[in-house]
Amino acid sequence: MNPSVKLLLLLLISLEISFTDNLTVNLILIVCLFIVLLFHHLTWRQFWCLMIIPLIPGIAVLITIGGYGSPHNWLTGWSMVSRFYVYVFAGGVMTFTTSPLLLARSLEQNFHLPSKFAYGTLAALNILPKIKQTVISIRIAGKMRGINLHWWSPRLYFKAILSAIRWSDQLAQAMKTHGFREGQPRTTAVKVSLYWTDWIILIISMVLLQFLLIALH
Amino acid sequence: MEKILIQNLTFAYKEGQPILDDVNLELPLHTSILLSGPIGCGKTTLLKLIAGLFPKYGGTCSGKIKLPHDQRIGMLFQDPAMQFTMDTPQHELEFTLENLQVPHNEISNQVKAALAFVNLQNVAHQKLTTLSGGQLQRVALAVIIAMKAEIILLDEPFASIDEPNRQFLLQKLAQLQSQKGITIIISDHNLRNYQNFIQFIVQFHEHQVKLLSSNASHQLLMNANQHSTNLSTNLPPQTDPSIIKLHNFSITRNQLSLIGVTNLKLIQNKVTLLTGPSGSGKSTLLKSIAKLTSYSGQITYDGNNIQKIFPGKYYSQVGLIFQETNQQFLNVTVGEELSLSIKNGGNTFFKGKSSQELLAMVGLPDLTERVIYSLSGGQRKLIQNLIMLMMGQKLLLMDEPFTGLDQPSLKKLLALIKKSRQQFPQALLIVSHQLDFLEGFVDYHLSLTDQQLTYQGGSQNES
Amino acid sequence: MFRQFHLKDIILLAIIGIIFGVIYLVTGIIYNGLTIALTPFGYGPMANDITLGIWCMAGPLAGFMLRLPGASFLGEFLSAVVEMLLGDQWGVTTLLSGLVQGIGTELGFTFTLYKMYNWVTLLLSATATTIFTFAWDWFRNGYSHFPFSMLVVMLIVRWLSMLFFTGILVKLIINLLNRSHVLAR
Repeated sequence: MNPSVKLLLLLLISLEISFTDNLTVNLILIVCLFIVLLFHHLTWRQFWCLMIIPLIPGIAVLITIGGYGSPHNWLTGWSMVSRFYVYVFAGGVMTFTTSPLLLARSLEQNFHLPSKFAYGTLAALNILPKIKQTVISIRIAGKMRGINLHWWSPRLYFKAILSAIRWSDQLAQAMKTHGFREGQPRTTAVKVSLYWTDWIILIISMVLLQFLLIALH
Repeated sequence: MEKILIQNLTFAYKEGQPILDDVNLELPLHTSILLSGPIGCGKTTLLKLIAGLFPKYGGTCSGKIKLPHDQRIGMLFQDPAMQFTMDTPQHELEFTLENLQVPHNEISNQVKAALAFVNLQNVAHQKLTTLSGGQLQRVALAVIIAMKAEIILLDEPFASIDEPNRQFLLQKLAQLQSQKGITIIISDHNLRNYQNFIQFIVQFHEHQVKLLSSNASHQLLMNANQHSTNLSTNLPPQTDPSIIKLHNFSITRNQLSLIGVTNLKLIQNKVTLLTGPSGSGKSTLLKSIAKLTSYSGQITYDGNNIQKIFPGKYYSQVGLIFQETNQQFLNVTVGEELSLSIKNGGNTFFKGKSSQELLAMVGLPDLTERVIYSLSGGQRKLIQNLIMLMMGQKLLLMDEPFTGLDQPSLKKLLALIKKSRQQFPQALLIVSHQLDFLEGFVDYHLSLTDQQLTYQGGSQNES
Repeated sequence: MFRQFHLKDIILLAIIGIIFGVIYLVTGIIYNGLTIALTPFGYGPMANDITLGIWCMAGPLAGFMLRLPGASFLGEFLSAVVEMLLGDQWGVTTLLSGLVQGIGTELGFTFTLYKMYNWVTLLLSATATTIFTFAWDWFRNGYSHFPFSMLVVMLIVRWLSMLFFTGILVKLIINLLNRSHVLAR
């Protein structure tokens, strides 16, 4: 399925269930998303990751709504828990099946996203290890001078942003030397196709969701 | 037009402080040219001006640069890891060819050809973040090949890569030049091992730039190879107390062994120099001891595994002078940096001194109100050394602590360290390319060659 | 609206988004710990209100750094985009949250007509973000089912969190950046 349309569909589903409290529909969605993930060779590690993430906030909401709500409403509580699982599974379908590059290429080719947004963001993503290393080494530089930099220390952010300013300059220059010009047309090494069937899948899925929501109300 | 013509070129990053002042230069095409001069003299600036990156990305400029108008320019940057947009060599090449509007059906073959030229087909789909500096520079060269650049600019391209990769790149560049007549301009502060490749040298001196004749250039390159420094040291005696011990220690990076299995100790309160070819893993060893990177085996400090010592405690005993100067600083002004070390420092030699007195000790004027990031590279390096010496760790790891210092500053700094150590003994482990004036300063000499870390005994010839 | 953003600005904002994510990860997962601690009292979801300010810092910071209409929104939204692409726990809804937070933080700058860059701007931005995100959580996190007294507490806590992180902390960071003259305008 076209990555951009897939993202749109998942966004629409997530948005819709944010405004409805239907445990059954949420459970059906989780099963559907799970099946999609199985087709994409979901690993056990990924599976447990998806199962554990919503657990803590899920239980918190359950207890608040079920135990302290007026009236005590355990059913709503459970539907909230299931909603969190839909969010996380929908996120899994996106991140486990589509690389950032493929999504960027699709948004650029199919939806005419200006290339500077697509590739500027990718360039930043690809220096993630360097960013991590830098944050760690800023904190160690602090410890060597006898100070602890916490996540609420302005200096930690300040130093990281100084590096970010330099990196953004370096990367922009590197992109220019590799021929990138803002707003200039580009060819495509890999064509991302957008078929009418993608739209059909989107429409059918959304119609089915409305039908389920009404039928299982 | 058979040359790159530079007329009355003046460039400044900051108003009133030109780094290049009224430069006039004619660079012949189809030759290999080396830009030579100390760090911070404007070599990179000139390359980026030719590449058209400046003044678009900073600075103000007057004068003219005339290029043969239809020639495409490719550039290779100093930091191998910061010149790519995408995640893999394959994708980066695709990205470049898309930018140049190469038709869809030709891209795949051109990518293959470019990767084959630099012999990297086997890592085409590997993440760039997992490749070594040398491999990254080869990917960058592949991009330039794919771009069909006729002028290739290389900004300190070999600063952090090993000798085999350097030789490989130089050989490929020579091949390109003989086959296609491209123009190559390299900037390097080190002139060694260029004699078979470079035809002309451009010398940078005091904001002025001069093209040397072919003969003078050749002479300079030959001299550079003979330059050597004698350093006589002894092996550390078995009985000397150690501060750091390596047990079955080894480092592997990108499936390659950097340092083979080593058992070794660093001696308490002594100065140890660590040398070895670039890219051999000297910085990585320092970072391992500073717990900034992973390794195999065990490192103990004072008999305790360093991984089990609380960070706060460990870093009050072990400090690191970062190779990248700015990483050391945590504040905005010079005064604030000094105050922090005055407040938390433990080195008694510096106790009770004012900021101005401290700056004078390294030969600097009263810069307390200045923003530290706006100082010159040499000034920042001196302050960096100063604030770390003041902290008074038992072991100070120093990664290229003398970069960008002129001779008087270097002598002054070394004398200061000597005096400080007389009153407040510290162990120093120094990685340095610069060996002048280190005779008599260094107690022991560790060498890292062919993945072997060994102490050098007797007189050594280090070129 | 986004015409005037250059490639360099976009890269910078995306990197800042990643930095916030990394600092959050490197310095320990506060959110889960807080949730567990508060859950027995029925205030588990309030961990969200306490920490939300951290996630909304990228916007005002970007607004102050670039001083362009849309900068705050773009900063906040791009940080949501990279958070999602790096595998953030809330998946695609991160994008929706980023959208809501982005509009909230941007409004502070809109109200001051992109001419004022001081405490008032940050106060307005923090308040608008509090209101917008609270409305979004009313639906998304099921706040509509919470007892009224609890909602009042949570709204106040969220506002304080916004004031602290997107107000005070952002202002302190901006002060450091201004003093070092690194922000080119």
